[in-house]
Amino acid sequence: MTTHTDDRTPTDHTGHATVGYAPEHTPRLAWAEQAPEVFKAMIRLDAAARKGLDPKLLELVKVRASQINHCALCVDMHSKDALAAGESVERIVQLSAWEESEHFYTERELAALALTEAVTVLTDGFVPDAVYERAAAHFEDAELAQLIAAITVINAWNRFGVTCRLVPGHYQPGHK
Amino acid sequence: MTARTRLLDKSVAQAMSTLSAAAKRGLGDPALAELVVIRASQLNHCAFCLDMHLRIAREHGVPERQLDLLAAWEEAEGVYDERERAALALTEAMTVLTGGTSQAVGSGGGFVPDEVYETAAKHFDDTELAHLIGLVVAINNWNRVMVSRRIPPGGYTP
Repeated sequence: MTTHTDDRTPTDHTGHATVGYAPEHTPRLAWAEQAPEVFKAMIRLDAAARKGLDPKLLELVKVRASQINHCALCVDMHSKDALAAGESVERIVQLSAWEESEHFYTERELAALALTEAVTVLTDGFVPDAVYERAAAHFEDAELAQLIAAITVINAWNRFGVTCRLVPGHYQPGHK
Repeated sequence: MTARTRLLDKSVAQAMSTLSAAAKRGLGDPALAELVVIRASQLNHCAFCLDMHLRIAREHGVPERQLDLLAAWEEAEGVYDERERAALALTEAMTVLTGGTSQAVGSGGGFVPDEVYETAAKHFDDTELAHLIGLVVAINNWNRVMVSRRIPPGGYTP
């Protein structure tokens, strides 16, 4: 197998060869075009929920929720946004196993990640007191309310992304 | 039961309300909207949302039998029409995104299966479907902020 590529070799936007890769799927529905008022409200909600939160922490939360909800577009977008915000590759990679790699994160980040999991997986049952109290120990009231809002909002984007099967791979940070 | 906190930024709450209203308006079927919203609230165990939306559903004249059997709608033949069943199946799939490990081997949730999506797409045109999806997202939002803050039921008065 050769790693040599020329102009005719299909590549992704970083220049890596994609020969033999499965074809890209098409989205099911252009929901934002079909429901522009809903989309506008989502944009406003997203902006409102990120106020007062540290951008690096926010991206960790967004990547982790997107992993749990299996939102390919959102994982693509927020991993790239995390990198653009100065996050390390290592900490992004370890997110899917963060409970076993606690020494990569601060206590505050761990508390936020635990809350993210609990608020994201509601169908298995509630947000445990221990998880809530751990978060409350690291975030003052107004900040905690924003963190809950931010977790809620990424869950919202995840639902649009997964249901409409939006396509990952084309996002570039700073070109929103 | 007392709330853990009642704090929620005003602009967050306003955007959430706008989102819900826009989705509901675009769907254009208030009775169906309540069935969808109640089913999602059951799955997410949101006491406040159940209390509120069961009251609203009754105001809208949603039949008691449809409300009584909603938690077992798949087994309740003859109670919901095909369009309602398609919307409820989509609601479940969208609400339980975290289950399973992959579409190939997963069970009990994870992704929105083609069959579920396509059945919904048969009963709703693209615009209706986009708003139905918006509505499921919107109630999932409310479920999350209410359950996380443990807002007790009963606070809503019609």
